[in-house]
Amino acid sequence: MYPLITSLFLVPVIVSGLLLILPKTVARILVITSSLVLAALSLYVFINLDGVLYFGVPHYVNDLVAVADIVLLVYFGWIALRRRSWLVGLMTVLQFGGLLYLLKILPADHSLQFMVDKLSAFMFLLINVISGIIAIYSLRYIDEEHCSSFRKKHFLSILFWFIAVMNLVVSSNNLEYFFLFFELTTLASFLLIGFRKDELSVKNALTALWMNQVGGVAILAAIFFIIYNGYGEATFSNLLAHASASGILLPLALLSVAALIKGAQLPFSKWLLGAMVAPTPVSALLHSSTMVKIAPFIILRLSPALKDTPVATVVIALTGFVFVAAAISALSQDNFKRILAYSTIALLALMIMMAAVGTPVTIVAALVLILFHGMSKCLLFLNAGILERVFHLKQSSDMDRLGESGPFTSLVITIGFMSLLLPPFGAFIGKWLSIETLGALATDKKLLGALVIVAVAGGGAVLSLLYFKVMGLLIARTGDHDKIRFEKTGLVYAGTMYVLLGLIILSVLGLPLLLTGYFVPVASQTLGMPVAVVMDGWNMHIGAMKLPMVPLLIALFLLPVTIITALFIRFKNVDRVKEYMCGEKINYSFSSFYFSTDRATPYFTTTGILFFVALIVAALI
Amino acid sequence: MNDLLIPVLLILLAPLIGGLVYGFERIIKARMQRRIGPPLLQPFYDFLKLADKRKMIVHSAHAFLGIMHFVSLWFALAVLLLGGDLILVIFLHLLSTSLIILAGYSTRSIFSHLGANRTAISILAYEPVLIIIAVSIFMLTGSFDASAAFNWDQPLLYKMPLAFIALLLVLPIKLKKSPFDVAEAHQEVTGGVEIEFSGIFFEAVYTAKWLDYVFCYTLVFLFAGNNILLGIGLMVFTFFYLNALDNSSARVNYKQMLRFSLTVSFSLAFINLLINIFT
Amino acid sequence: MNLASYRKKSPWILHYNAGGCNGCDIEILACLGPKYDIERFGMINTGNPKQSDILLVTGPVTKRSRERLVEIYAQMPEPKVVVSCGACACTGGVFRGMYNCEGGVDQYIPVDVYVCGCGTRPEQIIDGVVQALGILEQKTKAMEVSVRLQKEPLKEEGQINRRNIADQIKPALS
Repeated sequence: MYPLITSLFLVPVIVSGLLLILPKTVARILVITSSLVLAALSLYVFINLDGVLYFGVPHYVNDLVAVADIVLLVYFGWIALRRRSWLVGLMTVLQFGGLLYLLKILPADHSLQFMVDKLSAFMFLLINVISGIIAIYSLRYIDEEHCSSFRKKHFLSILFWFIAVMNLVVSSNNLEYFFLFFELTTLASFLLIGFRKDELSVKNALTALWMNQVGGVAILAAIFFIIYNGYGEATFSNLLAHASASGILLPLALLSVAALIKGAQLPFSKWLLGAMVAPTPVSALLHSSTMVKIAPFIILRLSPALKDTPVATVVIALTGFVFVAAAISALSQDNFKRILAYSTIALLALMIMMAAVGTPVTIVAALVLILFHGMSKCLLFLNAGILERVFHLKQSSDMDRLGESGPFTSLVITIGFMSLLLPPFGAFIGKWLSIETLGALATDKKLLGALVIVAVAGGGAVLSLLYFKVMGLLIARTGDHDKIRFEKTGLVYAGTMYVLLGLIILSVLGLPLLLTGYFVPVASQTLGMPVAVVMDGWNMHIGAMKLPMVPLLIALFLLPVTIITALFIRFKNVDRVKEYMCGEKINYSFSSFYFSTDRATPYFTTTGILFFVALIVAALI
Repeated sequence: MNDLLIPVLLILLAPLIGGLVYGFERIIKARMQRRIGPPLLQPFYDFLKLADKRKMIVHSAHAFLGIMHFVSLWFALAVLLLGGDLILVIFLHLLSTSLIILAGYSTRSIFSHLGANRTAISILAYEPVLIIIAVSIFMLTGSFDASAAFNWDQPLLYKMPLAFIALLLVLPIKLKKSPFDVAEAHQEVTGGVEIEFSGIFFEAVYTAKWLDYVFCYTLVFLFAGNNILLGIGLMVFTFFYLNALDNSSARVNYKQMLRFSLTVSFSLAFINLLINIFT
Repeated sequence: MNLASYRKKSPWILHYNAGGCNGCDIEILACLGPKYDIERFGMINTGNPKQSDILLVTGPVTKRSRERLVEIYAQMPEPKVVVSCGACACTGGVFRGMYNCEGGVDQYIPVDVYVCGCGTRPEQIIDGVVQALGILEQKTKAMEVSVRLQKEPLKEEGQINRRNIADQIKPALS
């Protein structure tokens, strides 16, 4: 098992290096094969991994990590000087001071730097499969970018570097290592967001940098408090072992802060929204499989310790608030990618909330949401790229002719939105599980449970309104386009779409199997207690929660099948008639409605800041 | 056997029952306006006449989505009547509404688009309230299943009167009754999403409205627990209340509807939820 | 079961003003009120050509409204009947011969029942509609086209495309 896991770290690094020097055709083959290899490896690791795997690395690696930390911070400092960004500078100085101090007081002997359990393997699978698809997609996308051929290679190289770092993040146990990898993802996202090198890109990349560096500072502080309070090594496993000790809450709260910042929760949502300026595969990567998914990952990792603490309460309240606020903010957006970004923030809030509640069923719900959100968002963002490149559309209000010019793309986007919203898709299952378990939560944490249910119900309705609004523009066509012909978008674009669609539909069909064989083992190992799953006739019981399978299967027939059939079906011997427009013959152009949220936005930010303060205060009390 | 027979019969006869309710409603409404009104079977005459019209459509996808709206609504109703999970039922109802919204959007017709926009907004107005009511029922019965509410030995109404009032306030939105009939608004958007349907294809949308009656009155019936007499009483009361309201009020615009629903109805349901949690 | 017999029991009305003075329109709306209550015959004023059986036209056909009239007529599914209400709709009335006016409705679409009067009385309208119902029952589902202003509907793959039937305006025969 070790060589396989190590190769998950090393293969992307090697590919990343090779991509810089290899000629274009060889690089293409390398990207495709290595994506397939990584997907296969992660699948193999997931299937064959039993129990928790701890492993250490030779002693000199520790020194290497320390050196790498310093080099990285020096680089950040250089960026701060070059771009004259005092925020980045401030954060770098804080980190540098903290790091030097920690290196002095850190116990010299720490043996188990890596920990791979089923949760890590789950993340491996998500990261490698989805990011592999994005890498293949970006072969063509970046080819059409206006930049030098070296920068194109550079782009693909950073992409694989990102995959490697993500694999390392989800398997590190030692918090010092975790800090390094955390900062390396920040670096990778900084480079990718600033890829286009225009003024806006640089500005937004710097925003992303300093915000994520705040997370880094929080991790360093967490390490400090663990050692200062005398809990021994600063590792996740050690932290979980001391779950009930007093004073442990502060490190937990600080790590949660790091998670919430990575997850772009308010008021730190700005970096994710600013990331839109980068080439679209970057957005797809940040939103679906990497970067933001660190947030629910950290909370899931900590959930046994977090559960039922005041910190968890504040996290739940914060994410409940963010779920509604982000959904409402999304309603005022016109740019397609910004709409998607806000809905990512909202759904991330839901995932983090589920992870923070920490009962078996909510953990399952969080995992289901992570997986299906990853697939759907990847699909939608890649489509946003296709819209830009093939149809030259960026604003959702311009998309009202897409149903005529690009029926396939509009169909795929419609299915993508549906899969975030309605039965029988996975994201719906996640939402459903959330509502029902929050109902159960309300029996012992009464007020919090009630408020969170209100947030989920309200935010969910706002999100559905949002999705309908966008879908409505996508599918309109006149009666002259009764017979549709799918447009040709090219092998790479169409191929990745088909693969993702296939993955989504397969995982919906195999949901009962996935739940028993995939999500529940992960959840039970993460929690350290068994989660009971019983098939009782046509109902599946997960813990206290019942999932009726027949209605879900029929819903599967009703929704996706209906939407696909609706495109192909043709009624024979039926007259075609014009749309009713009071007899007029004008062709109207359609747009959508918006809600102005300008007045509310400052309150959202202020409330977010207050919640973050409350998070630390809750830990101190 | 017996407890399965009645729901199955109800499900199979749902369009018939809904049609009769609609016919009766038209008479009552006419009498409230001092008119005589159409015969009781008028909806069925309409139904048979529509079947006889020459078929014409705007495009096939639009017509097909209309038919599937009917099918999926019937399915949602079946899950409710068989005592399925309430949250699932609400989402299945959302699914069927989503199909009619998509149908509305799928043509390039102004009224159809306006209607679809308004239907989407009315989802925002009633869905949170329904979910809160479902959670309150869970707090009381300990199960999200509708069957648990049907078999509860004490009327839910006594424990959750505010939720019932909230339901009464959102039902006009769902059934497209004045003052909350912005989605249909015959005088403004000539029927909204249903405008482009004609003949036999309109029939699906027309009958779906009947199914919606059965759906909504079943939600009302939930509040009576296993007390069937009270349930019938509640349904009759709701029937007259809805028609009186429809006849006596003018249409508000969608913003007013949204504001009213999200402040008044939503808070009522929420207060009821708090009461159910803390007692 | 003879479905044709149900046509009589649920006639849905579409009401179109081709350019008159609104006198007849007010009388049509009066029919819906409590006094005359045509809903007791199952009639509904739909406002939507696609779901209606009877087209009630008031007013003379102006040059501005003729394409709309034909377009709306084409959007009604057969069987359908046209009732022209009032003197103007029947013959052009006081507007006959004016530069902007084309005369009666029957210049453009086939009219089944003429209701006289300026404006027509509600009783007359009801009588006219009842007579139209008799005609409606006899009609077939064959496609009906307008008289002067029409484009041949396209036939493609066994389907009739009647989308742009009033696209081209031929100059009025004079």
